[in-house]
Amino acid sequence: MNILEIKDLTKHFGGLTAIHDLDLHIAKGEILGLIGPNGAGKSTLFNCVAGVFPPSVGDIRFKGESIAGKKPWDLCSLGLARTFQIVKPFGSKTVLYNVMVGAFLHTGSTSKARDKAMEVLETLQLDHRKDQLASNLTIADRKRLEIAKALATDPELLLLDEVMAGLRPTEVDDMIAIIKGLRDRGVTVFVIEHIMRAVMALSDRVVVIQFGEKIAEGKPEDVTKDENVIKAYLGSEYGAA
Amino acid sequence: MSRKQLDMTLLVLAVAVCFALPLVITSPTYLQILILLFFYAYLTTAWNLVGGFAGVLPLGHSVFVGIGAYTSTILSNQYGVSPWIGMLAGGVIAAFVGVLIGKPTFRMRGAYFALCTIAFAEGIRVMIENIDSIGPIKINGPRGLLIPLKGDSFWNYQFMHKEPYYYIILTMLLLVVALTWFISRSRMGYYLAAGGEEPEAAQALGINVARYKLISMAMSCFLTALAGTFYAQLMLYFYPKGLLGLDLSFEIAFIALIGGRGTIAGPVIGALALRPLNEFTRIYLGSQLPGLHLVIFGTILILVMLFQPKGLTPPLARLYDKFAARITGEGGAK
Amino acid sequence: MTAVIQAVINGIMMGAMYGLTALGLTLIFGVMKVVNFAHGSLLMVGMFAAYWLIKLTGIHPYLSLLVVPPLLFFFGYYMQNLLIKPVFRAEQQVREPLTVIIVTTGVWYVLDNLALMLFGAEYRTVKTSITGTSFSMGDFIVSIPKLSGFVVSVATAVGLWLFMVKTRTGKALQATSLDREAANLMGIDQYRIYNLAFGIGTAIAGIAGCVIMPFYYVYPSVGVVFDIRAFIIVVLGGLGSIHGAMLGGVIIGLIESVFSQFMPSTWTEAIIYAVFLVILFVKPSGFFGKKQDW
Repeated sequence: MNILEIKDLTKHFGGLTAIHDLDLHIAKGEILGLIGPNGAGKSTLFNCVAGVFPPSVGDIRFKGESIAGKKPWDLCSLGLARTFQIVKPFGSKTVLYNVMVGAFLHTGSTSKARDKAMEVLETLQLDHRKDQLASNLTIADRKRLEIAKALATDPELLLLDEVMAGLRPTEVDDMIAIIKGLRDRGVTVFVIEHIMRAVMALSDRVVVIQFGEKIAEGKPEDVTKDENVIKAYLGSEYGAA
Repeated sequence: MSRKQLDMTLLVLAVAVCFALPLVITSPTYLQILILLFFYAYLTTAWNLVGGFAGVLPLGHSVFVGIGAYTSTILSNQYGVSPWIGMLAGGVIAAFVGVLIGKPTFRMRGAYFALCTIAFAEGIRVMIENIDSIGPIKINGPRGLLIPLKGDSFWNYQFMHKEPYYYIILTMLLLVVALTWFISRSRMGYYLAAGGEEPEAAQALGINVARYKLISMAMSCFLTALAGTFYAQLMLYFYPKGLLGLDLSFEIAFIALIGGRGTIAGPVIGALALRPLNEFTRIYLGSQLPGLHLVIFGTILILVMLFQPKGLTPPLARLYDKFAARITGEGGAK
Repeated sequence: MTAVIQAVINGIMMGAMYGLTALGLTLIFGVMKVVNFAHGSLLMVGMFAAYWLIKLTGIHPYLSLLVVPPLLFFFGYYMQNLLIKPVFRAEQQVREPLTVIIVTTGVWYVLDNLALMLFGAEYRTVKTSITGTSFSMGDFIVSIPKLSGFVVSVATAVGLWLFMVKTRTGKALQATSLDREAANLMGIDQYRIYNLAFGIGTAIAGIAGCVIMPFYYVYPSVGVVFDIRAFIIVVLGGLGSIHGAMLGGVIIGLIESVFSQFMPSTWTEAIIYAVFLVILFVKPSGFFGKKQDW
């Protein structure tokens, strides 16, 4: 069963077409990687799915139901959570407070939200930082906090936008383990990632987009051999050689 | 003694002292100063619900004080309705107006919102000053409204001594502080804080930021209007320039900012710090040097913003932590 | 009909001067994303400076334009440097730090009340060689001080616009307004630019003070009157836009003078607020504002 289906999605900004006629699906329990050169439309695609922009044309279905034009907060209640490429912690608050904001989605009780948040922080090995102000965290911990907030809303589908950018190699390995752990807990994961090593290690399937269009799709090892993909990443002269 | 016990003991002690004060202070002048101190602390706490927790800067709250005062006074003067009922009616109208003005303006960035609230409040003041009556309802333009004396009567919200007013405003203050304490620890408080700080991130966590801001605005305006009725009954006279003018709106915001915006104790600490200063400089220096108290006010505001941008509450809280750690013997409070 | 055309002439002249009072406000907002609540008070300082200069030396009123604006430039420059910069530093990551608004409000209170302590609350006018002079054009009478004010206002707006688009410094101001971090990376000293913007904005308030003084009166809280009007003008025209400020000013001036032909002047004030609120509901970014600024 597909948890997310995108059909003929097009998004214009004024005269610019950021995404053109894109089809995409994610099966439940899958980790799908989305890659593409800078400006290919990855973040725009995420923003359309997460309800930040309504699509210009086409449909997005989540759990079989059309969500095109729905607001971000409604989508979150339906079970679709996301992180931001530029992390957005509530900087003046503690780590625990940040995660509790997410945990309040399914409970009105402060103590239940606190328990839920602690559980998420433990999963992400961030519990020892719980009383620190979010603005004082290292970049690696901020990225984890970003995931923890989203995870506290109990999503079925989690959109991760470059959660590994700026991390050291060992931190990338930790993050890969964390994301795989999420999938094992039943969360479907859709990642945008620039670090190829991570995409290869994580994804069950990879979709490559360029200039807003899908140019390749398949298993990670096949996609990297695809001529179009090599062209897109290295320029056409390399592809011809 | 644990920290929690210490907190509770001090709190109960402070409240008990507040209730006992009129037994010691019998001078109506000093009682009036205390009443106004609590009145400002109450207004600022109500303002703080939207100005502090929701992270916007409303600078036109006097308009809601005015709505409260005018509604209850018109209802009691012309229709014989008890001001207590008029007070609730004023609160409802204020909440409605607050939502009306909040809906288009909350999408705006900080500066725009602040300017719009100022212009709205000033616009209402100018209109009231131009209207003598709407149909059968007497507004009296710039002359304002006078409440006829009816003698000691709870039903008429009139008392010949200051003590009842003191206890009414003290109770109102305690209730509104308890309410903010409760809200700040509830889902609503978390959502408001999150939406005020990073609206996009908050929305992605399932929060309809605009809706929560509107709810907080409605609550804040409702509570502010209640104080308007109190003021009218305390003074038995008010006029648009004094009640609806920018001075009141700004003073509320200043008290919050100096005390500590978005904290529970901030408005009370701000009022404790600024009101006596305001009263005494006005009384003792006002006649020789008009304006000196406002120069001092402005200077304090600038200094606090430069050296304690989060207000006086955080450093005081640290001091208290140290003190509490010594009393309870618990090492190093966090 | 003649009365209406006369009112239109007066409204346009007055409106351009209202635009001038809003110009500094809009410039400072455009560059720093800060609403300077002390702007009216700076105008008041400019008016008092012009007042004392004319009163004590007896010079021609417009010679004050050579003295007052440069003085106010330095005043604004150092006010930003001493009081506002530190707050900005502390809240670097915030796009629109509200604490800065508060500091400028503090400056407003201090300046207005210092003026009250020094000069008292009375309304002061200064009699100059041009006070009350006018010439007639057919059926219409044009006041010379107002016409001069109109000319200076338009010249200042055009001058500011040329400065912004033609000079290196002006371009640096614009670059900072678009993206302060990027401008910083390009070697533009953000805080020097802020000092300049504040200095220029304040100098423009000084120009306004000089041209308004010959036909208006000055008192310590005169700034508030112009301040609220300037706020409305910049929201109408779009915060940060030079031509928006001038157009907004003229609209306010026209409403004021044309409507006062038909109703008491206190009502025209109410109408200005009503127009403002309507614009707010319909097009909150104003005529020329950038969408991301509100």
